Amino acid sequence: MPSRLTVVVSQGRSPNPKKRALEEQIVAGLLGDRGIDVTIVPHLYDLTAESTGMLCLSGISGDLVFCSWLYPRAARWTLDRQGIRGQEGISLLKSLGESDEDLEEPTAEEDAKHLVIDRLELPSRKIYCLDLRAYDDSEIFQEEIRRIAQESNTSTVELSSWINGNPRPEQMERYLAAEKNGVANGYDNVPGEKTHDEEDPARRWYPVIDFSRCTNCLECIDFCLFGVYGIDAQETILVEQPDNCRQGCPACSRVCPENAIIFPQHKTPTIAGSAEVGGNLKIDLSQLFGAPDPGAPGAEKALEVAARERNEQLLLAGRETVGANVGVPKRDPPGNLEEQPQDELDLLIDSLDALDL
Amino acid sequence: MTDDLTFMMGEFEAQFPTDRLYARNHMWAQRVSEDRFRFGFAAYAVRLLQDVYFLDWEIAAGAQISERQEIGQIESQKAEASLYAPLAGTVVCINETLLKDPSAINVDKYSNGWLFEIAGISNGLLSPSEYLVHLESVWEVTQRTIKGQMNK
Repeated sequence: MPSRLTVVVSQGRSPNPKKRALEEQIVAGLLGDRGIDVTIVPHLYDLTAESTGMLCLSGISGDLVFCSWLYPRAARWTLDRQGIRGQEGISLLKSLGESDEDLEEPTAEEDAKHLVIDRLELPSRKIYCLDLRAYDDSEIFQEEIRRIAQESNTSTVELSSWINGNPRPEQMERYLAAEKNGVANGYDNVPGEKTHDEEDPARRWYPVIDFSRCTNCLECIDFCLFGVYGIDAQETILVEQPDNCRQGCPACSRVCPENAIIFPQHKTPTIAGSAEVGGNLKIDLSQLFGAPDPGAPGAEKALEVAARERNEQLLLAGRETVGANVGVPKRDPPGNLEEQPQDELDLLIDSLDALDL
Repeated sequence: MTDDLTFMMGEFEAQFPTDRLYARNHMWAQRVSEDRFRFGFAAYAVRLLQDVYFLDWEIAAGAQISERQEIGQIESQKAEASLYAPLAGTVVCINETLLKDPSAINVDKYSNGWLFEIAGISNGLLSPSEYLVHLESVWEVTQRTIKGQMNK
C-alpha cells in the first residue's frame, strides 16, 4: 500500500534570502512526487498551540519528515511538547556541525538511568527531523526525503497481508480511488499539492525538554523562579507555562545535570540541542560586542553563569535577586572543585585554554 | 563630514564621526540630553557583520540593565552574535523600525540605523580618538578570532 509521507518545511525565523531559497527549492523539487505531500509552516518554535501552523501539524497522522532550521533534537521535542508525537525516524543526513565521531553508543551507565522516554507511550508512526542548516544543496534533502518515502512505503506494504495480499475487486477499486483523490490517510490534498501556511507569529522563548535524556530529577523546577516548570499527573516534569520564561535566559539549561533542556534559539550549540558539541557555520562575533571570554582566567562556571543570568532576569522583572544557592543543585559545592588534584581532563582543558585562537 | 576619523581595516576605510562618543563594544553613543545617550553600531562592527538580516532584543523600554549584560541577538550574512549593554542604566526606547527591517544598520548606521537609547552615566565611553586607540589594540585579535573560526 503506497502510504503517504508528509513533508513539512518550517521556515527560518529571519527572512534570510538564502534560507528562503533553500526552502522553496525543496518544496518545488518535491511537488511532482506521488505519495508525498508538502506543507510550509512558519518557524516551529514560535508557533502557539492555537496557531493554524500547529493545527496543520496536528492533523498529520502518518510518517512525517520535518525540515527546520533547528537541531533535530530541538525540533523533535518541540513537536512532542505540542502533542505531535512518534518514534524517532533515523535520517542518514547529519545535523549542523555533526561529524561521524559524534555518534556514540549509550554506555552501560546511561542504560541504567531511568529516562522519562522509557515511560512515554509514543505512537508507532515515525517523525524524521532534518536540519536545514547542515547542507546548502536542496537536492541532498530531496534525495533523503525520497529515500524515507521508500522506507516508509516498504514498511506498510505488509498491511496488504490483512487482506491476504489478494484484495477483492471492490477493495482494490476503493483503494485506488483513494489514491487518485489523495484521500488516503484522511487527507483532502491532491497528491503533491503544496499547502502554504503563512503567519507572522511573535518570537517566543521557552525551554524544550528532551525526554530521551531527562531523568525527572526536578532540579529545573527548583531552580527556575519564574514558574515555567510544573509536573503532570504522573509526576513527570513538564514545561507548564512556557511563556513565563524570560526572553534570552538559558539558566535552567546550565543547571540540568543531563543537558536535557534545550533552548532552540540559543547560540551555544549544546544549549540549542546539538547532539554533541558542534561547530557553527557562521562566525560568532559575540566577543566583539562584549561577551565574557570563556577561556579567561577566573571565567564563570556554568552554575555561576546560571545564577547570574537568573538574577539579571529577576531584576528585569522588578523582583529581588536571590543568593547563588537558591535552588541550585548541591552536586557541585563551591570550593570543592579547587581542592581536587588535577586529572588528565583538567590538563587537557588547561592546554586548550592556553591556545591562542 | 570631512572631520571623520578613519581606521584601516585591511583595505577598508572605516569612518568614525567626531560628533559623538564610542563604547568599547563598537557602538557609537550620541548624547541626546543630560544623561541620555542614543547608541548604534560603529563602522567597525557593521563592516564585520555585513548585511544584517535579523535583530532581536531581550529588553524593552524601562528595563534596568547593567553594563555588559546580554541584551539581544543579531544575525547577518556573515555572522551571528549576542549583544551586550554598552552602558549601565535604564533603557529609554528601542528603534522599533529595525525589528521589521534592519537594513538601516547597513545603509545609515550613524543616523537612522540607531539601536536604542539608555539613560545612565557615561563614565566608560571613549572619545573618538580614544576609540581609535582601542581599535588599534583589538584589530589584531579580531582578525585572529575570525580566521580561527573560519578554519575550523
